[in-house]
Amino acid sequence: MGGQHELQVWAEDRLHADRAAKAAITDVLRIEAKYSRYREDSVTAAINRAAGGAAVAIDDETAALLRFGARCHALSGGRFDLTSGVLRGAWDFRRQPSRIPTDDEIATACAKVGWERVEWSDRSVRLSRAGMELDFGGIGKEYAADRVAAICMDHGIRHGFVNLGGDVRVIGTQVDGTPWRIGIRHPRRMRAVIGEVELCDAAVATSGDYERYFEADGRRYCHLLDALTGRPVDHWQSASVVAPLATLAGSWATIAMLLGEAAVPFLRAQHADYLLVAADGTVSCGGAAFESATNQ
Amino acid sequence: MTDRERKDRERSATLIAAALALPGILPANASAQAAPDEGVVALRYYDYRDWQPGASRMTVRSPTLYALVPLSDTTTIEGSLTHDAMSGASPLYHNTLSGASGLGVTDYRTAGDVKVTRYFDGNALALGAAYSDERDYTSRAASVEWRHFSDDRNRTYAMGFGAAYDRIDSSNGLATNKRRETYDLLLGITQVLSAEALIESTLTWSQGRGYYSDPYKLLDQRPDRRHIVAWLTRYNQYVPRFDATLRLGYRYLHDSFGDESHMLEAAWIQSLPRGFNVTPSVRYYTQSAAGFYHDPPFPQGFVGGSPYTADTRLSAFGAVTLGLRVAKTFAGGTTADVALNFYRQRSAWRIGGGGSPGLEEFSARWIEFGIEKRF
Repeated sequence: MGGQHELQVWAEDRLHADRAAKAAITDVLRIEAKYSRYREDSVTAAINRAAGGAAVAIDDETAALLRFGARCHALSGGRFDLTSGVLRGAWDFRRQPSRIPTDDEIATACAKVGWERVEWSDRSVRLSRAGMELDFGGIGKEYAADRVAAICMDHGIRHGFVNLGGDVRVIGTQVDGTPWRIGIRHPRRMRAVIGEVELCDAAVATSGDYERYFEADGRRYCHLLDALTGRPVDHWQSASVVAPLATLAGSWATIAMLLGEAAVPFLRAQHADYLLVAADGTVSCGGAAFESATNQ
Repeated sequence: MTDRERKDRERSATLIAAALALPGILPANASAQAAPDEGVVALRYYDYRDWQPGASRMTVRSPTLYALVPLSDTTTIEGSLTHDAMSGASPLYHNTLSGASGLGVTDYRTAGDVKVTRYFDGNALALGAAYSDERDYTSRAASVEWRHFSDDRNRTYAMGFGAAYDRIDSSNGLATNKRRETYDLLLGITQVLSAEALIESTLTWSQGRGYYSDPYKLLDQRPDRRHIVAWLTRYNQYVPRFDATLRLGYRYLHDSFGDESHMLEAAWIQSLPRGFNVTPSVRYYTQSAAGFYHDPPFPQGFVGGSPYTADTRLSAFGAVTLGLRVAKTFAGGTTADVALNFYRQRSAWRIGGGGSPGLEEFSARWIEFGIEKRF
């Protein structure tokens, strides 16, 4: 998992805090090792190696993540897709100098994308075409954040937060009873804050076009790729969403980015609080959590 | 609602359901939030000695074994066992009576207690029993305590009730089958003020009746009813700049025997590298004399049939305790500590009215060793 991570817990004494933190961090590392696409021994690597071949047996946890990915796919009208990672083959954000792929290259990559080409059940998963890839990156981090919160609560922690690469899940309130105050990063001005949200026992996740991108011909091409078109999204600079779970906040934020203009009615339908920054920098908010944010 | 909207709503509901179906995403023991999930075994050794100028008086040595075991997610059981060996004179005679009885006798006391606590929906209910036995004194006690935790766990209310039944059979035959019963009521509140501060306040009423006299003290005759009110407040403040905690405490006590006392204490718990912490502490105590206490010379003030005591514990005095505790926490949850306390009591140290005249200063020291393992 890339990005900066932070865990703060408040306990009666250091021993309890240390125990909770240690158990939580161990679990984050476990999820990282299990689902990283960079690790040869990960579940993800095993599934991807078998693409076009035999089905791979999976455990309950992997099946639950696949089911969650399937729901995100349906809810986004096919734009959110756990198999869209192969598009990074065409859109290489690390290449210097950067290059916009040709239509042919995009079409070739798109042929290996498609949730409907994934054969999966509670017991096994099979990618039906060689070259297909599954990537849990879009949900793994948020899932880990929710598990960290649960593990800490099981250790008796009543106050704390976890921030996994910008996806924040808070436990309870601050110790003095006031809500946790989470700043929302400005998508263009690094280290600046565009809004703020107060949270108790909830999560906020932000999806933005600023994590990995290149600019060409005056346009920004970001790493968030629409599985239907095979191209980067460009309607929003960032989408921040509040939800009871980081898993929900993260998937709603990503889907909002992918849906473009339709993000606002989508988020309203989820009854989610949100802060959207449009391509021109205009901020729009919905829900009580962000009401004060536009005053910035 | 249009078909489209209905379909969207169904889809979002299935997403939430799928998120909730992710394993380990909700805390497993949400209903039993406050139950400790770890056990504790601790062994302590206590060595006490007191003296007055020119005379070593009393020594007590006692090992204590304590254990707490979670029985389930919601229930814990804890208990302790103590064995005291006491030798020397009964403490705190007038100088004039020093050595009048009990000198050179070694006595043993065995005491044990057990408590079962059940946690449910932000509450904890504890039932306890205790037993103590020595040659001339037996005590049986039972208690029930209820605690309620606020939703954010920042406030705890406590209410407790205890009853103790004691039996006194003095070795000198002056008290045989004497009984005493005591009932206690406790009300307490603990409030977290911030991430760094916490305050706790407890009010205790104690109502007792029965035999309160000391059969080993000549002419000692005390009222057979006793009512005590005690109010204890503690404040803990973490000081980030020093990675240390300041602990302050004050206790006021009023006793129907006529004495009143104030206790002030302060401790500084300093964290040090490698799991060490050092706690210097100081405590000041001052009390007035009981209404039926009479100053030396003995038996000045004695009138047959009226309450009378010359027990210096009921005289007016002030006392200071200095303590130093060093503890080390090892990896794996083991803590070892050693504590040294020094106590000195003088009539002249009393605040608010002079102390009882004619008494020599009294000193004590106690050393404690402890080792505790959490698992």
